Amino acid sequence: MISLAGRDILHSWGKFVLTGIGLGLLIGVTLSMAGIYRGMVDDAQALLDNSGADLWVVQQDTQGPYAESSSLRDDVVRSVLGLPGVARAANVTYLTMQVRQSQGQGEARDGQEVRAMIVGFEPGQPGEPGYLVAGRHITRSHYEAVVDVRTGFALGERIRIRRHDYTVVGLTRRMVSSGGDPMVFIPLKDAQEAQFLKDNDAILNDRARTAANPALNRPGVPGLLEAIQASQAANHNVNTVLVQVQPGVPAESVAEPIRRWKHLEAYTRAQMEEILIAKLIATSARQIAMFLVILAVVSAAIVAFIIYTMTLGKIREIAVLKLIGTRNRTIAGMILQQALGLGLIGFIVGKVAATLWAPIFPKYVLLEPGDAVRGLVAVMLICALASTLAIRAALKVDPAAAIGG
Amino acid sequence: MIDAGIRIEGLRKRYGEGDTAVDALKDVNMTVAPGEVVGLIGPSGSGKSTLLKCLGAVIEPTAGRMILGGQTIYDDGWKIPDLRALRRDSIGFVFQAPYLIPFLDVTDNVALLPMLAGRSNDEARARALELLVALDVGHRAKAQPSELSGGEQQRVSIARALANQPPVILADEPTAPLDSERALAVVRILNQMATQFHTAIIVVTHDEKIIPTFKRIYHIRDGRTEEEVGQGLSL
Amino acid sequence: MKLPTNWSLRFGLGLLGVLLIVALTYVVMRSGPLAPTRVTVTQATVGSLSPSLFGIGTVEARLAYLIGPTAAGRVSRVLVDVGDTVTAGQLLAEMDPVDLDERAAALEASIARAASVIAAAQGQRRDAQARSVLAANTARRYVELGAQNFMNASAVEAKQQEHASADAAVTTADANLAAAHKDTQRLEAELAGLQQQRDNVRLRAPAQGVVISRDAEAGSTVVAGQAVLRLMEPESLWIRVRLDQGRSAGLIKGLPASIILRSNPSVPLTGKVARVETTSDSITEERVALVALETLPSGLSTGELAEVTLTLPATAPALLLPNPAIRRQADQVGVWRLEGGKLHFAPVRIGQTSLDGQVQVLEGLKAGDEVVVFSEKDLSANSRIKVVDTLAGSKP
Repeated sequence: MISLAGRDILHSWGKFVLTGIGLGLLIGVTLSMAGIYRGMVDDAQALLDNSGADLWVVQQDTQGPYAESSSLRDDVVRSVLGLPGVARAANVTYLTMQVRQSQGQGEARDGQEVRAMIVGFEPGQPGEPGYLVAGRHITRSHYEAVVDVRTGFALGERIRIRRHDYTVVGLTRRMVSSGGDPMVFIPLKDAQEAQFLKDNDAILNDRARTAANPALNRPGVPGLLEAIQASQAANHNVNTVLVQVQPGVPAESVAEPIRRWKHLEAYTRAQMEEILIAKLIATSARQIAMFLVILAVVSAAIVAFIIYTMTLGKIREIAVLKLIGTRNRTIAGMILQQALGLGLIGFIVGKVAATLWAPIFPKYVLLEPGDAVRGLVAVMLICALASTLAIRAALKVDPAAAIGG
Repeated sequence: MIDAGIRIEGLRKRYGEGDTAVDALKDVNMTVAPGEVVGLIGPSGSGKSTLLKCLGAVIEPTAGRMILGGQTIYDDGWKIPDLRALRRDSIGFVFQAPYLIPFLDVTDNVALLPMLAGRSNDEARARALELLVALDVGHRAKAQPSELSGGEQQRVSIARALANQPPVILADEPTAPLDSERALAVVRILNQMATQFHTAIIVVTHDEKIIPTFKRIYHIRDGRTEEEVGQGLSL
Repeated sequence: MKLPTNWSLRFGLGLLGVLLIVALTYVVMRSGPLAPTRVTVTQATVGSLSPSLFGIGTVEARLAYLIGPTAAGRVSRVLVDVGDTVTAGQLLAEMDPVDLDERAAALEASIARAASVIAAAQGQRRDAQARSVLAANTARRYVELGAQNFMNASAVEAKQQEHASADAAVTTADANLAAAHKDTQRLEAELAGLQQQRDNVRLRAPAQGVVISRDAEAGSTVVAGQAVLRLMEPESLWIRVRLDQGRSAGLIKGLPASIILRSNPSVPLTGKVARVETTSDSITEERVALVALETLPSGLSTGELAEVTLTLPATAPALLLPNPAIRRQADQVGVWRLEGGKLHFAPVRIGQTSLDGQVQVLEGLKAGDEVVVFSEKDLSANSRIKVVDTLAGSKP
């Protein structure tokens, strides 16, 4: 027995391939959509992975530092270090802001702005970028930065963060905030300053405001005003303390005493993931899931319509085939095979297309092989399901239509 | 005569039930011997189409008997279980247009039937080629149907009808779109084939050009057949 | 013949199919989790590095003076302005003396009066002395006459008593005179004290210097210790550098320093560590060093930010690696060694680091060992890797 479906495909291959490519692009969009969702989840995971922490210590009753703002005194880390089971702990600050190229580096690159997450970390401690793709780690305690390649900054360039210029000394990769903003790593002290120090005008205004307050600027107490102003400009706050527990110690057993006795909140990796994925990106995820469902429905409808019209175009042949004694099963098989073939071409085209255009997306698109396999199964199921419409139409064809018509 | 060809006795077909029932066929009797070509003519509404469908094992008659190639197909409400297989193995169809399957080449169009009947591809193709040669289109065996002329297509369709060596071939207006010369050529081929393959051929037609060629003609009027002797014009 | 068309069609379709499969395979293998991680490698080489320390400092004056009164008072006049160069002892400002001058005048009058008292006491003394001499002579004569019995005894005794009284009067006059002298001395001392006080409201320059701020104007009231003017010695400008405690090993007095001032980043200045403070800030975790500039640039201002790099002596030769090669696995510091295309994590002990990112490897590695430097993602022992030359170049 020859393959009727195969012969039909070979016969009208142009139409078939073009339809397949069209469908493939649609499937590519669907896969990309899934990739965008996976990318968001992966961004969140990458954020947690890259921090290298087992435990996040944040301000009490907050879900910081990523989902909410959290503020801690920077000496908290010392008391955390003293707890049993803690291997390493470090202060970290996070601040999302626009990072500018410094002036005076040539017309074209002046003022290039990138939205980035500024991470203040202590070199050699948790929170440090784990790997680089170029350059070196920070060696000076001030004014050096390691940036994610997605920022577009190059080694040796100078970037401006608030009041200071930083030299880019290292490049890293896949270091992003949960929102997908690339990270810029700078020394903790600089970051603390960047987070709380304002522009010159604001500082002067603040000084004037303090000086105008008679309670703070008392004539009989020389030096009081200066002391107050200095304390206003200094910042000893951080957003979180990253903790690495000793191998073999469950993170929760370290978190519990922190919550109970230090009056701080502590999240384990699992809890942090829950916060990031279930809370921070939940709406976006639902949005994408909605879109995925619509795309799947649209794809299914399109496959169904394509197969249906292809079948309708062959009604006479099907009637003849039935009249000369072809089994219904054979005809249904033919249509099903065509639908699956279309689906397969579409899937391959879609997968290739999605992979090719994924790097162009501004945010990370993660195409997981598991998703691809699920996608293939889904495409095949959808195609099989969609072909039922055509199969029903084909089976309803009266073999008598071929004669006596 | 009973063991081959086709024999129909008292065939009736009623559509619907009760008050709205319509008797399309009231009393049809036909006998066609192997190797014989008979004409079946009748105006529209005479029950010709219904008879054709009954003959083609597409619809079942309400009553009456039909024996095809020695096999009883219908007998007063009883029918053989597998009409589809019957159509495949025992009835050849030639249509008004060739109705070739466009995505199969000429050989496979013909070979499809033996293949459907369970023959091996090689066997089926050998049989197809044999028929194509017999019908003088052997040189187009590898062509696509769309590449053939109308006459060639019609020959291929005849070859397809013969593919499973059915005891009977139903030809439904096979010459309608053709001019008289080509129409006569088709009838000539049908006659040749009937003789060569020992097949009973029923040509349903109202084509005045070819009616004179039949030796026997069944007229169908108001659901009843009348047998006539045709001119039997030599081709 | 239609055969060739058919064949080329089939061939074309087959090619298309193969192409799609190849594309799919390529795509699956080259991207996503199945793709190998691209890395760059380097060989550990022996060398010495010159470690440096880096810190941020501000320009400060070592000698700065805060000029203010010792008692609360009103500023009566300020004689110099910001930027003026002053010499030691120069009068800079004066506080309102209130009643000091009047009190001095009163004391002076008292002293004058005390002189009159002394003169009077001296007169009385002379008078007493004269009476005493006369009484003595009279008494002697009466004693002689009494012995010749020209006088009766009672008359003689009366004259002797007169003599004793006169002597006592002299003693009294002496004492009166001494008291008058003491009184004068007291008043003079009081006047001197008052003059000291008067002098104290005059604010004078303790050393040669430049006025850097004028914090109060004539008429304003200042409390004791509050500055009216601030002075500094321009030659004493140095830089107070704060260095991260964790990166201050080797900080000693005398280290050469390269200084970049905010105001002029293109010209590095040279200097030396002049002092390392023995206390360090426990809150900021910073040590403080003071760096003196070799030559003071003109227009240097205090409070200016400076980036200071201190150069330590070159280390003894050791294995060197770029710092991105140093990775952390659980609680171990190490490197990913490439051996026969497979990755092994080799724990190492690291030594000093130079500012350009070279790290000494003291233990755990041999010279010539291939080590992963850059990688696209975190590595593990069973990562599939692909060695490339560069991962991301710097833009031109």
